[in-house]
Amino acid sequence: MQHDLRLTAVGRRYGIRGPWVLRGVDLTVTPGTLTRIEGANGTGKSTLLRLLARLDAPTEGRVTGRPRTAFVPERFPSALPFTALGYLTHLGTVHGLSRGTARRAAGSWLERFGAAAYAGTPMAQLSKGSSQKVAVAQALLGDPELLVLDEAWTGLDAAARAELERAVAERTAAGGAVVFVDHDPRRLAGAPEATYTVLDGGLELRTDSGSSPAGPLTLVTVRGPAGGQLPPDAARAAASAEETAPGTYRLGIAASHSDVVLRTLLTARPPWHVVSVAPPPDDPAPNPGSRP
Amino acid sequence: MTALLRYQADLLLRSQRWLPPVILYAAFLGIGVQSGQPVLDSLGYTAAGLLPVAAWLVRICVTGEPDAARACVAAARGPARAHLACLLTALLASVALGVVATVVVTLISDPASNGHQIRVPLLRAAAAGLPATLTCALLGAAVGALTNRPLLRSTGRAVPAMLLGALLAVVLTGSPAQAAVSGLVSGSRTGRAPLPLLPAAGATLLTAVAFAVAARLTARRSP
Repeated sequence: MQHDLRLTAVGRRYGIRGPWVLRGVDLTVTPGTLTRIEGANGTGKSTLLRLLARLDAPTEGRVTGRPRTAFVPERFPSALPFTALGYLTHLGTVHGLSRGTARRAAGSWLERFGAAAYAGTPMAQLSKGSSQKVAVAQALLGDPELLVLDEAWTGLDAAARAELERAVAERTAAGGAVVFVDHDPRRLAGAPEATYTVLDGGLELRTDSGSSPAGPLTLVTVRGPAGGQLPPDAARAAASAEETAPGTYRLGIAASHSDVVLRTLLTARPPWHVVSVAPPPDDPAPNPGSRP
Repeated sequence: MTALLRYQADLLLRSQRWLPPVILYAAFLGIGVQSGQPVLDSLGYTAAGLLPVAAWLVRICVTGEPDAARACVAAARGPARAHLACLLTALLASVALGVVATVVVTLISDPASNGHQIRVPLLRAAAAGLPATLTCALLGAAVGALTNRPLLRSTGRAVPAMLLGALLAVVLTGSPAQAAVSGLVSGSRTGRAPLPLLPAAGATLLTAVAFAVAARLTARRSP
């Protein structure tokens, strides 16, 4: 992303005399960050996301910065006369890919979300969860600089929910910004750089949850070159890092971010050695996406 | 923009929602145009009939996507450009339909004036008919752009406004479509085929303004 996306004193209301949904909102989304938006139903979270994705213009105030954006709506209707693959190929080209690249990317994203079998299925015949997978794949196709997720996890199965969390971690690791709304407090727990609450039409930065990771952590022991410092990208994505011996670290990493950290370490120059990877010790069910 | 146009064109074709206006237009021509009639008269009729069809095609294109799907495209390319792609797709479809109709009508009509007295060369007639058809397609698209989302969002207001707008655009003096059509009809009496370039230019200007207004308002008046 060239510049930050910046909202300055932004207000939005529907209709000329409608009540203000949001007012006086200041928010900056910087590249490589994960931002969580919270709030009760009907407080204006979706309106805020639509402003961030620049789908709606603010009634007052200014929005500056125009990163390449992808948006995942909460409910994706399948009333489109395409097959899943056909739709994704079109959307890939809209996101700026060539036709061939779009087709390949569409196929691999469908596979990642376990929907490869539905590639040739008309959208109208897809289940709610499967069409949500298409909506998510659509947004991830073009490696967007800003990814806006409006309750994108709703309707996905456990495997796809975990996969989407990993995809979000990959996006932020690659320097993209991600803004999301989700009602599950454990969603990407500990990962967001900032959490905001929409309250009475305004936006409040939450300071209590950002620092302490709430989710179960994967324990990874890695050894670097003699006296080597942990690569900054890996150190940032890990929730905790403890130097057990010179050059050897034990990292606690949120399940969604373990792949990203391992990839960073293994591709570092010189590469790090992964001594061991252990699942969270106090987590009986290795199922990060399960819901109560 | 090419990717957006391809997507919208594919959406229009596959949705099959273009069938009713196209069938209605064919029926309208089938009733009003018969082979052996004076060519300019028939071309005027062909052009005038295209105007409401163009407006209807715009309505089909701008309401073709569910809101969520529209949001996905608008996030990628900006809502104004996404809306402009809908409008241009409808305009191109109307122009294509109009060109086909004009060519067919030209070929089956009698190359003569009313009363079959003065000869009107077919090429000359087509050269007069095509700009008139283009004028009507442009003006119909403009009417459709101004009477649908984002300006009028409820069907109850959009459809009557669109039909009234299309009717006025055909009959009102001063409208480029009316000028182009009446030029053909009077040309059929005198036997001199006019080139309605001024009406075509006027219609282009009006349509550009209408499209710009509609595209600019998309982000302000949504969802």
